[in-house]
Amino acid sequence: MRKKALIIDDNRNNLMLEKDLLEVAGFEVFVAENAASGIALARKEKPDIIIMDMRLPDMRGSEAAKILLLDNETRNIPIVFVTASVLAEGIEEIKAIPNAVFIGKPINTRTFAKEVKQFMK
Amino acid sequence: MTNPRDKLDFLRNRACHLDRAILVLPQPALWPVLRSLVVTVLGDSLSCTQALPTARRQETSRKKTVTGSPEYSESIINTVREPLIALDQDLRVVTASRSFYGVFKVKPEETVGQLIYDLGNKQWNIPKLRELLETILPQKTSFDNYEVEHDFTTIGRRIMLLNARQIQRASEKERIILLAIEDITERREIENGLEKAHEELEELAAELERTARVKSEFLANMSHELRTPLNSINGFSEVLYDETFGPLNEKQRIYVNNVLSSGKHLLLLINQILDMAKVEAGKMKLALSSLPIKRILDEISMLVAEMASKKKIDLSIEIAGDLPDIEADELKVKEIIYNLLSNAVKFTTEGGKLGMRAKRADSEIEVVVWDTGVGIAPENMERIFEGFFRVDTPYSRLTEGTGLGLPLARKMVELHGGKLSVESKGLKCGTSVRFTLPIVARREV
Repeated sequence: MRKKALIIDDNRNNLMLEKDLLEVAGFEVFVAENAASGIALARKEKPDIIIMDMRLPDMRGSEAAKILLLDNETRNIPIVFVTASVLAEGIEEIKAIPNAVFIGKPINTRTFAKEVKQFMK
Repeated sequence: MTNPRDKLDFLRNRACHLDRAILVLPQPALWPVLRSLVVTVLGDSLSCTQALPTARRQETSRKKTVTGSPEYSESIINTVREPLIALDQDLRVVTASRSFYGVFKVKPEETVGQLIYDLGNKQWNIPKLRELLETILPQKTSFDNYEVEHDFTTIGRRIMLLNARQIQRASEKERIILLAIEDITERREIENGLEKAHEELEELAAELERTARVKSEFLANMSHELRTPLNSINGFSEVLYDETFGPLNEKQRIYVNNVLSSGKHLLLLINQILDMAKVEAGKMKLALSSLPIKRILDEISMLVAEMASKKKIDLSIEIAGDLPDIEADELKVKEIIYNLLSNAVKFTTEGGKLGMRAKRADSEIEVVVWDTGVGIAPENMERIFEGFFRVDTPYSRLTEGTGLGLPLARKMVELHGGKLSVESKGLKCGTSVRFTLPIVARREV
């Protein structure tokens, strides 16, 4: 069965690029443009991995991650933050979240799907 | 010290260095005044010449018979920079020092015998002074460092520091008051100026801190905002170039590759500008660890060897066998070495030579990256560290660089406590970059 990935990003270009890369790599991909609908989709589809932007229109990615952690059905889904932040504070914010890693922007299209898969294991 | 002789000896001991001044500055006009002062203070039975050095006794003995030779006390009174005035119990001026007349621009004849408040057109009629002389002094016999600010008719608004002593005359029952007046207007102005400067400095420091914070917030935002579109530019062109969704014709491949390499160049610029800003804001922190620097130098020279062989450049690497591990930030050290070596390749013409030498030098390691390339004109020696400076040669147009690699390398070397310098005998004479890194990191205290 194909692995499910959920991408939450309000930037449609990022969304399209990441969706394409993961589909090419064999994923079934779901997308959401804000945290609220992303969380709803996560509960419904129970993806194997969530790829999320840190700056979302309705809340910070780290807050969305906390909500997912509180729900028994979504708490074990690993999260990959794709962030353009290069400052130590932004990276600390991600390190504080269990079961989460980050990939810096701009992403390397040649390794992106591989990095995502690695983190699922 | 009731004996007049003792008093004089005391004064002589304290004032013997004034002898020369007495000789060159006889002020006959003031002698009567000073005589009265001396007599007032020391008692009129005193023979002042006893205090004078023998060498001058002959010269002064003639005057002694007339005036009692007031020179010695004159010297004391007149050498004191601060105006000094003696008053009797009715607050009338008995005598005043030379500096008193000088500072307050008054003449002896209109001063001696006058009530102090009447001096110089009643300009001394100062309420604070009245209070001091009439209320405080009768009770305390002295007062110290009283500050009086007053608008004097002759000299304008001044701040005066007053000190007074009541002295019992030796021969008589009556007392006199010695009043020392120090003009501290300028001193106070300087103090106020310093205080103001200090306040301004504090404001400036707060402003700088605020600016630095705004700057780093701005850079964080800028970096984020610039990276987001670059994610699309680089990402989509990379996918296209890789022909993930179908083949491209030759022209399309070249064009999309141009988009990609320009996007990557832009990303490098953003990263380097951000790094420069971080270093300048003191925000770049070193992640120190023990580095096998020998291996790192080898690895990076292998990377560069490929670039060099494409340009048929002869590469020579000499790494000393005893090169020790160093304590440094691995990523930054790699970036420094890569920047310097890739610069050397970039600025060396085909068929040229470049090399790297590394050795231990006391408590540091020293690395020299040299080439036989375009070199640097003497007038550009400092400009190459300013950032965005590109040596204007045909080669620089061929090569994509940011002009930030070398300045950044120097900053990162300095952050480690090392030094980086560049030598070139001029254009077309090659370049040699030497840098040092401490073997054990110098930690900030």
